[in-house]
Order: sequence, then C-alpha cells, then structure tokens
Amino acid sequence: MASARYRFDENPLTVQSRVIWALILRETRVTFGNAQLGYLWAIANPILTTTIMVLIFSFISRMPPIGTSFILFFATGIIPFEMYNKLANSLMAVFTQNKGLMTYPLVKETDAVFARYLLVIATYFLVLLVFFSTLIITGFAPWPHNPGSAIAAIFCLSLFGLGVGVTNAVVKCLWGTWPQIYGIISRPLFFISGIFFIPTTFPPYITDWLAWNPLLHFIDWFRAAYYINYESVIFDGPFLFYVTTGLLLTGFGGARLFRKKLA
Amino acid sequence: MIEFESVRKSYRLGGVEKVILEDLNMTFPSGVSVGILGHNGAGKSTMMRLIAGAELPDAGKIRRYANVSWPLGFSGGFNGQMTGMENIRFVARMYGQDIAEMIDFVEDFSELGPALRAPIKTYSSGMKARLAFGVSMAVEFDYYLIDEITAVGDTRFKKKCAEVFEQKLRTSNIIMVSHSSGSLKQYCQHGCVLDSGRLDYYEDLDEAIAHHDANQAK
Repeated sequence: MASARYRFDENPLTVQSRVIWALILRETRVTFGNAQLGYLWAIANPILTTTIMVLIFSFISRMPPIGTSFILFFATGIIPFEMYNKLANSLMAVFTQNKGLMTYPLVKETDAVFARYLLVIATYFLVLLVFFSTLIITGFAPWPHNPGSAIAAIFCLSLFGLGVGVTNAVVKCLWGTWPQIYGIISRPLFFISGIFFIPTTFPPYITDWLAWNPLLHFIDWFRAAYYINYESVIFDGPFLFYVTTGLLLTGFGGARLFRKKLA
Repeated sequence: MIEFESVRKSYRLGGVEKVILEDLNMTFPSGVSVGILGHNGAGKSTMMRLIAGAELPDAGKIRRYANVSWPLGFSGGFNGQMTGMENIRFVARMYGQDIAEMIDFVEDFSELGPALRAPIKTYSSGMKARLAFGVSMAVEFDYYLIDEITAVGDTRFKKKCAEVFEQKLRTSNIIMVSHSSGSLKQYCQHGCVLDSGRLDYYEDLDEAIAHHDANQAK
C-alpha cells in the first residue's frame, strides 16, 4: 500500500509547487477533454484560427503598414492579443470553477490561478514557436530582429493578462454580472489594439488617445522587436509597469482580502 | 495535536448571522480519537473544514502540529469530468505519493474495477464514497477527519471501512462526526458536543453522548 506518511512540516514552497504541478496536469484533462489529442487541439486551435483570419484579411488588405508580408504583420498582432484574451477570460472563472478543490487543505485559491496562467503561457509559447517557425521556413517571415526583446514583450504581456484575469476573477465573485460587462468593454479591443494598424497610421491626437490602451504598447513592443527597421513611437515602459503592477496588486490583494468569499 | 485559540466562526444566511463557534479555546490532544456530536445545522461539517484548514476562521488561530486529512466523506474535491483514475493521480501528485502504489491501493480497496476508467459523473453516490474513502486511506495522515462516511455504502463496504480503521488506529487518530453513537464508541475515546456556538469537550465519550442526548431531548 502507499504508505509514505505525509509530512505536515514540509517546506511550504515544495508543497505549493507540487500542488501547482498537479493542478496543471488536472487542468489539461479538464479543459482539453479526455482524448490524448486534447492538448494538441489546444495548440492547434489558435494556430488554425489565426491561419483562417490571416487568409480572410489578406484578401481585404494586401499591403501591411510595415514590411511586405501581411501574414507576418497580422500574426505579430493577433497571437499576442489572443494570449491576452485567453488569460483575461479563462482566469475570470478560476475561483468559481475550482470551489470543489478547496476541500483539499493543501490547495490555496491562488494555486489554481498560477496553474491556469502557466498552462496558458506554455500553450501560447508553443503556438508562437510553431507559427513563426512555419513562417520562417516557408519564407513568409525573417528571423526576429531581437528575439530577447520579443520574448520579454510576450512575458510582460502575460503578466498584464494575469493581472486583468485575476482582477476579473475577484470582481466576478463579488458581482456576478461582471463577465457580461467585461465582454462588452473588451469587445472593441480587437480593433483598437494595433492588430490591423501601427500607431503612426493615425493623426497624433488620435494616437494619444489610443495610447491609453496597454495592449497597443505590448503589440507595438513585440513588433519593434521582430521587425528590423521598425521603432515604436508610443511604447512607454513605465506606463506598462505601473498598470501591470497595479492590476496584479489589485487582483491578488483582492483575492487575499475576499478569500472567504472566494472559497 | 491541534490547537484552537480564540476561534470564532459564523455564517451569514439570508442576512441572519449564525454563530458556529464563539471564542473557542481548546486542544485536540495527540494520540486520541475524538467524536464530534451536535444536532443538524450546529456546524459539525464546518468544524471539520476548520480542523482540516479547508476553511478559515473569522478570528483566532488554528495550529496543527500534525498532518490532517481533508474532510472525508465529501467527494466535492473530485472533478466529474475526470475519471476515477485521473482523480487518484491528482491527489497522489498533490500529496507527493507514489502514483502506482496509490492506484493499486485504491483499486484494491474500492473494488470499482473498470469503472475507475469512467468519468466520476457516471458514478453512483456509493461508488463515489468508495473512491473518496479509498483515496484518503491511501495517504498516511496523523488525523483522519471523517464526516458521516459510514452512512454511505452497503454492509460489505462498512465492514471494509471498519477493517481499515482498525489498522489505521494503530498509528493514526480519527476525528469523526456521526449521528450513530455506535460507530463513535467503536473508534473514539473522547467526545465533544457542538451546540449554539459552544463546544464542550469531554475526556469520556459517554459523557459527551449523554450531553448530546439531553440536548436532543429538550
């Protein structure tokens, strides 16, 4: 029989990382179904959606604002955007979906948040890898000009997504209609986050307004890292830092403050 | 040993506050199995969740100098979409147990056979209880928190539970909620009665049962 006595004085960090790992594997089963191909679908889904959208939009607009490849321009916008969307939306339900888990004293509310976050970023890392290496091999795109900066942009964007997602999750627990409201607020993001344009497309007074949207900065940052001769005119590191930190503090602070309501 | 220090716990139901524990100071001594008695709605299950650490007190501190199981008999931690097997693996990973050994133990104990490969949502409540019970017995705890588990399942299952309890009681203890004073007497030495925010602890289980019976007769 399994007789390793479970120790109560174990290092809390060891316990937490084990719990998060167990949760990640559980998440893959729950969200991607029982099929062995489930996780493959999770990666294939964004790739196929992006491919279809690229095909549709390349008929409408053939000349991208930068470079010559519309596919590359669109992909550098839509994939980071989809990752953000996935984080903001899937984390929103994290507390309500995992109430049963709180039966296990080892699981803290935030463990489920970290597990889901890690799974989403791992998935999108694979999506980026598959999509861009396909573009590079088939000659639709060059190597990224500054891969380190591109990875940094994606990583910081994922932290921003985590901040929005966990804040959403807390607000949803306190106010049940929030997901509908967030859905309405976030709908225009698809059009104003620079998936289809670069900030200098518009006159400065419009760009100044658009620049309040952190997503525009992240996508512009990613493009400036990918394209050799493109520099972002709006990118504002301190702004992104304050917004992201503010959201993370609000979200995790709220989770701590209202933890009795979440469980 | 599990210590309660000035613990308060209340619930708000339809705007009315219901106090389950008011300023409780007590210790569950090590090496003793304790039965918890109380009428329906007195908060016995909440008490179990507090002991486990699955729920937090409103005020005060609960210190555990022992490893404590999750409140057993409650299969809420299982995910309905996952198979029995996947749920076993999840618990094994979380508690750092050997997965293969744990599966062997649960297969043997639960006698669920091929049903272990089916999603939990297809299980009957008896099957769920067998799985839940098997999974928690596979992990060695100092304290097993048992919430009315023996109420589920047939005679054969109850006999199996009794056998496993006997074995566990050599090295571990049980904190148990039950309406049947029979099963309390079988496993517990001490008892306590939870009633309107108070918890009275008795070093003699019979006194606790007498107190509880007197409450019931009121």
